[in-house]
Amino acid sequence: MPGEASKAAAIVGAAEANDIGYPQTPKSSLTLHIEAIKNVTDMTGIPISAIDGIFSAGWSPQVAEYLGLHPKYIDTTAVGGCSFEMHVHHALAAIHAGVIDVALVTHGEMGFSQRFTGGKGTGRPFGGGDPWDPGTQHTSAYGLGGAPTAYSHALNRHMSRYGTTQEDFAEIAVVTREWATLNPRAVMYRKAGEGDLAPLEKGEWGGGKRGHTFGGPITVDTVMNSRPISWPIKLLDVCLVTDHGGAVLITGPELAKTSKTPPVWIAGAGENMSHWNMLEMGDFTATSAGRSAAAAYKMAGMGPEDMEMAMIYDSFTVTAGITAEMLGLAPAGEGPSLWKDRHAAPGGRLPINTNGGGLSFNHSGMYGMQLLVEAYRQLSGTAEDGGFSGDPGKQTSARSCVVNGTGGSLSTTGTLVLVSDD
Amino acid sequence: MAEYTKPIPSPDPVSQPFWDGAKEGKLMLPRCSDCNRVHWYPRVICPFCHSMNIEWVEATGKGTIHTFAVQHNKGLVARGWGDEVPYVSAYIDLAEGDRMLTVLKGVDPNDPESIEIGGAVQIEFEEASEDVHIPFWRPV
Repeated sequence: MPGEASKAAAIVGAAEANDIGYPQTPKSSLTLHIEAIKNVTDMTGIPISAIDGIFSAGWSPQVAEYLGLHPKYIDTTAVGGCSFEMHVHHALAAIHAGVIDVALVTHGEMGFSQRFTGGKGTGRPFGGGDPWDPGTQHTSAYGLGGAPTAYSHALNRHMSRYGTTQEDFAEIAVVTREWATLNPRAVMYRKAGEGDLAPLEKGEWGGGKRGHTFGGPITVDTVMNSRPISWPIKLLDVCLVTDHGGAVLITGPELAKTSKTPPVWIAGAGENMSHWNMLEMGDFTATSAGRSAAAAYKMAGMGPEDMEMAMIYDSFTVTAGITAEMLGLAPAGEGPSLWKDRHAAPGGRLPINTNGGGLSFNHSGMYGMQLLVEAYRQLSGTAEDGGFSGDPGKQTSARSCVVNGTGGSLSTTGTLVLVSDD
Repeated sequence: MAEYTKPIPSPDPVSQPFWDGAKEGKLMLPRCSDCNRVHWYPRVICPFCHSMNIEWVEATGKGTIHTFAVQHNKGLVARGWGDEVPYVSAYIDLAEGDRMLTVLKGVDPNDPESIEIGGAVQIEFEEASEDVHIPFWRPV
């Protein structure tokens, strides 16, 4: 018997770039991608604008940005020369699942010409390093580097557009720290010198100077008086940089019954992107979470009004504030008020970032896994700490949670709607 | 000319007309001959209508500040810029459309409230090397 996904999708066209082989004039890997894409869309009559899923060996966000696309499925599986056959497999699954209609699998690689360009133009997975990468070429002169140097531009634009203030966003850091003081595993759980000291503080690693010497509760003043990093972003608007590992297991309903721990159901899922380099961000006060959340809510048959808690990527206070708006949890321009009015705080109607967030729990660089672990802990009742809600093993009584991860420079988003078992 | 110690971009075949213009003090922008929209960064395909008929036009060099930030942290900015903190980075809405990243000249990084989002700016070019003149913007 054929499998359920058998013949659920077909390859409808295939083409190559114009200058292949040993071209007279080097063209960048990105240009080779674009030529092939133009040719296959001309061949099929399916316009580039109809592409809603993109699959490549590491190039997907750059190619989508270059074409101005906002794909609903973004796959960069890069595991060697067989990656493209796997992309077809993933595209089949995505089309079978009804997530996308038109999948683009694309490749461009200046294997020969790079000998004459000193390696320029070959590109790299996740970009940013190639001097011919257009985003790099037209931004590198201005020195922006670490994430705070970019995100600060979004915060300033939000304040200018909506009249929000640095103090409004500081409230996010204050409330998130409050959650951390309920979580013994949070880096900012308690002040230095109170109770058990982390190894860093004891000077066992790094001489003690790099430890968390300012844990415990904070106020808006603490945030406002912390040193400027990239105005209007200050130190306490910025997430931690820590070590973290996490893992989740996902199964179908039958196997889920065999697990010793309860299932938390994936009611909805969506993804999207608005750009890769912030140079291409159209609206600095909005992210693609608007689109990824719309997809997730639609799949779940639920809306923001049905969410009883939220796990929101908080690389910076501005990330959390804007994302809350994008998820429909607050009106445009009013995201920070969820924290300021204590709705997001312990005991509030919509607990947000109950682990203490990337701001005060842990943030290893890519925080998305930490969001998943905490959402599972709360919705399954397996959280081992506190029980602030009165329920053992739960900081909240929530049975539904919207989870949103943000990547790049407010570039890419993935949204999940998770619900407790009945 | 004093040695330029900050990052210098690498022109590529697609962007070469822009850098050629910059050497002459001109802002050259790519424009789609089919939908007539200007885009930035330069591409071989129009990101709006996906035509590959791209022409280069000389722009006015006028724009407005879309948003800005003050870079304070030596460790977070690129090599060469650390000695210049605090400095003001900004995104500029071009008069012809689309947006550029830049560093603002002639502003006070210690008084960000004095810098106006929406304020008018004019382009200027700094000779970083014989081949590469880098665009910067200054309030008018």
